[in-house]
Amino acid sequence: MSAEIEEILKRYQSYPNVAGIIILDPFAIPIKTTMDYTLTVHYAAVVHTLAAKAAKMVSSLDANNELMTIRLRTKQHEVVIVPSESYIIIVVQKPGE
Amino acid sequence: MSAEVEEMLKRFQNFKNIVGIMVIDNDGIPIKTTMEYNLTLHYAAVMQTLREKAQQVVLDLDATNEFTFLRLRTLRHEVLLCPEVDYFIVVLQLPCD
Repeated sequence: MSAEIEEILKRYQSYPNVAGIIILDPFAIPIKTTMDYTLTVHYAAVVHTLAAKAAKMVSSLDANNELMTIRLRTKQHEVVIVPSESYIIIVVQKPGE
Repeated sequence: MSAEVEEMLKRFQNFKNIVGIMVIDNDGIPIKTTMEYNLTLHYAAVMQTLREKAQQVVLDLDATNEFTFLRLRTLRHEVLLCPEVDYFIVVLQLPCD
């Protein structure tokens, strides 16, 4: 499992616009991060609630549907959240323009 | 204002991948929609909660930042949420792949 995580990290870190990557376990505990720890824990807490809420919303609208990714675009950067059964991956990237 | 809204709806409806467009005010009441009414009401309620949650998340992480856009990719389609001052727009589209 940890080899898989390393591979994911390496793959995403090679993109120039990536400001940080956080990988959480299903309980929102950071397993791996490239960002400062306090910020990571902060992201983990808020993103986990947003992802859980969004996943619930999607299934409430259509029971056969499933949430795959969330892209939260803000003025300063974009946060990509990929929830899955074994991890939650969060990538913070600076937008291209 | 309503001519502007009509113009925008017409412009987007020409794209093949778009399933529906909804313009919803800040109280969760649909102003304009191209989808069936009951489904629109359901989406309006769900998206309003999600919009507020996303706003909270962004401000919580950085009070100087602003939430500009949200994309939820699900199995069936992609939901785009664009918040504005007095309303927000929700677009459902089929992803290209």
